[in-house]
Amino acid sequence: MSGRRTSALTALLDEAAQGLWRARRMTVVSVLQIAVSVFLVGVFFLTAENLRGIVETVKDETAVTVFLKAAASEEEKAEIERLAMESRLVARSRRVSTQEAGARFAATWQSLARASSSLASSPFPETIELDLLPDATRSEALPGFLSLLAARKGADDVQFDVDWIRRLRGAVALIAVWGGAVGFFLALGAVFTIANVVRLTILLHRDEIDILRLVGAPEYLIRGPFLIGGLAQGFLGGTLAVGVLYLAFRGVLRYVSATHNVLIGAFIVRFLPPSACALLVVGGLLAGVIGGSIAVRKKHLQA
Amino acid sequence: MIELYHVQKDFRGKRVLRDVSFQMSRGDFVFLTGPSGAGKTTLLKLLFRAEQPSDGQILVNGMNVGAMPPSRIPELRRTMGIVFQDYKLLPTRTVFENVSFVLKFLGVPTQERKRRAYQTLRMVELHHRLSAFPEELSGGEQQRVALARALINEPELLIADEPTGNLDRRLAEEVMKLFTAINVRGTTVLLATHDQDLIRGSGRRCLTLDRGRVLEGLVEPSAPPPAALLERGGPLAEGEP
Ligand SMILES: Nc1ncnc2c1ncn2[C@@H]1O[C@H](COP(=O)(O)OP(=O)(O)O)[C@@H](O)[C@H]1O
Ligand SMILES: [Mg+2]
Repeated sequence: MSGRRTSALTALLDEAAQGLWRARRMTVVSVLQIAVSVFLVGVFFLTAENLRGIVETVKDETAVTVFLKAAASEEEKAEIERLAMESRLVARSRRVSTQEAGARFAATWQSLARASSSLASSPFPETIELDLLPDATRSEALPGFLSLLAARKGADDVQFDVDWIRRLRGAVALIAVWGGAVGFFLALGAVFTIANVVRLTILLHRDEIDILRLVGAPEYLIRGPFLIGGLAQGFLGGTLAVGVLYLAFRGVLRYVSATHNVLIGAFIVRFLPPSACALLVVGGLLAGVIGGSIAVRKKHLQA
Repeated sequence: MIELYHVQKDFRGKRVLRDVSFQMSRGDFVFLTGPSGAGKTTLLKLLFRAEQPSDGQILVNGMNVGAMPPSRIPELRRTMGIVFQDYKLLPTRTVFENVSFVLKFLGVPTQERKRRAYQTLRMVELHHRLSAFPEELSGGEQQRVALARALINEPELLIADEPTGNLDRRLAEEVMKLFTAINVRGTTVLLATHDQDLIRGSGRRCLTLDRGRVLEGLVEPSAPPPAALLERGGPLAEGEP
C-alpha cells in the first residue's frame, strides 16, 4: 500500500521535474523574478537588522556621557562624579578610559576599528558615563543638571543620547515598515509572475492536458506538477536571492576593509540571522505556491 | 459491459444520433461501421464521457456514464483502452513515455513500465523506436503507438476509432490479428471503422450507423462458418429501421 503511494509520489515529482525542464526558459524567468523580489526585500531586512544592531549596542550607553578634557585633574574628575551621585538622577557612574573606549569600539565595529587604529592619536577621549535612574529622563531637573555638569572645569562636553537613539529607532521602524510594504508588493509581483508563467504553460500545453485527461490521468497528476513546479521555482528563487545577498554583503565588507570607508562600515556590520534567511526562502516558496495555485484554479484547467 | 438505451446526441440542434440502443457483453468483439460523418466517433466519445448524451442512458461496467460526477471520469477511463482516431499522442514525450504514461499514475515502477512498454510495442512492431518522438514517426507508426498505449494496461474494454486508418493492408491485417488475440484473452472490443474490407469475412457482430440510427448486423464469415452463427441469421441481417 505504502509502496504504491510512494511510486505515485515519485510519478508526481517526476512529472513536475519534466514539466519544469520542458519549459526551462519560462522556469528561469520566474526563478529570476522571484529572486529579484526576495533579494530586494532582503536588502531592507539587512538594513533594518544593522540599524537595530546600532540601536542595541548604544542602548547601554543611554545615559549621560561626560567627555573629559585631556588635561582634567583627578580632583576635577572626582568632583564631577560626586555631583552626579548627589543629583538623585543618576544610578551609577563609571569611568571609561581612552583604551577601554577604543577596545569597546573595536569589538562592536570590527570593520571600523582597523580604520581608527591607523589614526595617529586615539579618537576616543576619556569619559565618565552616568546611568540615569529610570524616570530621570522625564525629570524637570535634568536640563539644569546637564548644564551644571557641562560647566565643570574638567568637562569638555556633555552628551545626552536619548534623542538620537530615539530618532534612530524611528528610522529602524520606518525602514521595517517600508521594507514590509515594498516586500509585500514585490511578493505580489512575484506571485503574479509565477501565476502567469504557469498559466501560459498550461495554455501552451492545453492539448496535452486534454490528452492526459482522456487516458484517465488523475487530477492530482495534472494539477500537482504545476503546484510543485511553482513551489520549486519559489524555493530556488528564494535561495538564490539569499545566496546573492550574502555574497553582496561579503563584497561590501571587503570593500569597507580595503577602503576604510567609515560611512558604509558603520552601517553594514552583520548579516541576517538564519531565521531571517529562512523567512526569505519561505517567502519565495510561498510566492511560488500561491502563483501556481492561482494558475491551476478550475477555470483555467477545465476540460 | 456496455448498455445504451434510447441515446440521442445533438450538436447545436443537429441530431447526430437518434434513439440508439444496444448492448455488449463482456468478451464481445463488435464492429461499428457507417460512412464518414455517420456519428461513429461521437458514439464512442459518449462511452468515455468526452461527450455527454442529449438524452437516454449509457451504462459502462455498471457505471452510469452520462450522469456520473466529473470527479469519477478518470476512474471510468482507466478501465478502458482507447485508440483515438487522431491518435492523441503527447508531442513532447517519447514513444516510451507516451505508451507507459498510463502505468505511471497507476504506480507501476519504472523497471516494470519499461518491460511492459517494450513488450507491447513489440506487438505493434515498434519496439525499436522507444526513444523517438511522435513527430519523427509516420502516421501509421503513430497509430500503432496509440494502439500500444491503449493495450499496455490490459484493459477490460478496448475502444478503437479507425485504428487501421493509416496502415497499409499488411499492417492492418496484423493489427486486426492483434485485436482478435486480445479479445480471446478476455478484453471486450468495440472497433469503429468505415473500411468495409477490414470487417469482411470476420463473422462478427456489426453495428451500422445510418442517418443517426444503429442497425444490428452480422458479418458473413469467410471460412466455413460455425453452425451456431448460421442459425442466428443471414449476412448483415438488418434490424427494423
Ligand atoms: N463537437 C462537434 N460539434 C458539432 N458537430 C459535431 C461535433 N462532433 C461531431 N459533429 C458532427 O457530427 C457528425 C458525426 O461526426 P463523427 O461522429 O465524427 O462521424 P464519424 O466518426 O462517423 O465520421 C458530423 O456531421 C460532424 O460534423
Ligand atoms: Mg470518426
